Amino acid sequence: MTIKFESSYIKNNYTLLGRNEYDISLKVDKIIRDYYNNKKSIEEGESSYQIETIKGLLRKEKLKETDIDALISGDLQNQLFASTFASRDFEIPTLGIYSACSTFTEGLIIGSLLTDLNNKVVITTSAHNLVSEKQFRFPIEYGSLRKKVNTFTVTGSISALLTSEKTNIKVEYGTIGKMTDIGYSDVNNMGACMAPAAARTIYEHLKDTNRSIDYYDLILTGDLGVYGLEILKDYLKKEYKITNGIFKDASSILYEQNSGKEIAGGSGPICLPLTLFSKILKENYKKILLVGTGSMHSKLSSNINETIPAISHVVSLEVIK
Amino acid sequence: MKLKEYKKIVDKNSPKEDKIKNVLISFVVGGSLGALGELFVKFLEAKFYMPPSECYMYLMILLVVISSILTGLGIFDNIVTFGKCGFIIPTTGFAHSMTSAAMDNNKEGFIKGIGSNIFKLTGSIILFGLVSAFFLALLKGVIM
Repeated sequence: MTIKFESSYIKNNYTLLGRNEYDISLKVDKIIRDYYNNKKSIEEGESSYQIETIKGLLRKEKLKETDIDALISGDLQNQLFASTFASRDFEIPTLGIYSACSTFTEGLIIGSLLTDLNNKVVITTSAHNLVSEKQFRFPIEYGSLRKKVNTFTVTGSISALLTSEKTNIKVEYGTIGKMTDIGYSDVNNMGACMAPAAARTIYEHLKDTNRSIDYYDLILTGDLGVYGLEILKDYLKKEYKITNGIFKDASSILYEQNSGKEIAGGSGPICLPLTLFSKILKENYKKILLVGTGSMHSKLSSNINETIPAISHVVSLEVIK
Repeated sequence: MKLKEYKKIVDKNSPKEDKIKNVLISFVVGGSLGALGELFVKFLEAKFYMPPSECYMYLMILLVVISSILTGLGIFDNIVTFGKCGFIIPTTGFAHSMTSAAMDNNKEGFIKGIGSNIFKLTGSIILFGLVSAFFLALLKGVIM
């Protein structure tokens, strides 16, 4: 399903990076080199990252909490711990969303629907490497053996402000993806799990908007990793006969030096917005297609030998210069 | 697209793991660990005139304590990354997974956190170790 947004613009953003084992050289608003951020547990640490970004964004824009009509936030923790415990500090009506690593694009779609009704919306998402390791893989200190296709969750948080007042980044279309399960079940190779979902939603977006893939200057995928991106290109070619297009993967841009060596790239919901705001929007791209991809597995699903369903939500941005 | 076809695309684009290299490293590391242990046992036998069964018990305790402390200091996961299954399959791996699971949940308190989670990974080793020991002992009793 594709929705055309009439008046939805990204006004500002606040980016925060936590501690990351592999270097990230992108410029962000704030860096906190501490997994705990003076809190008792890592889970609360992630939550405090979100508080920092929301406060930072309000400070940047000189807005009060009561000026914001809605906060849409999501993260990877059970019961959205980070988001719920961050939002209790604010006087803002809140929606919590879970869509794994496509949280940001899902937030953009819901937020844009609200901005079309003349509201100001803040979209927040966060990820924490240790929390995800603990929740989806093994205990943190457990030296589980990594495969070359493993991705590495990026620690940090991002808030973006959506308004109906005109700025130079317009949110144009949003395509809500279908849950896609091709039957693949290797949790280590998340790029391969999510590529079919991404391809399907890209195809449906192009069909609904009557555009060819060449219309976009850049197709930015979220966290497929270096190998996942190649799989996506091959799959698009074989299944949907889409051969052109300029593709880049946000997570491999983040870990530029290490991608394809020790790790396949980054993962987590903040890869896509972080790369978008700190790098892509500063370059000369006019028409950008954001492809958020989420792998919806859990410990339970792999324990009962289920295959991995994946989802992808697509948003097209237009940069007006 | 069928899963079979898709797997072909995935295999074409994913890097191959160096399985032989991993196996060799594990073999050498695990083997040396075993050799060192054997030396320690011989040392105990020669110096303290202990019976072999007691020597092996002390060796077990030593390995478990060392790997638990190293896990607590945050070093052992790097050692495992280097030595692979050479460190996971011996008792060191057992102690490592036990300690790391306990560390993960220590913020949730002694009873609900550490107590109920410490055997999260190693619980099955203990359970099925006991079950198989029981049946083997039974078998031994019947045969002999």
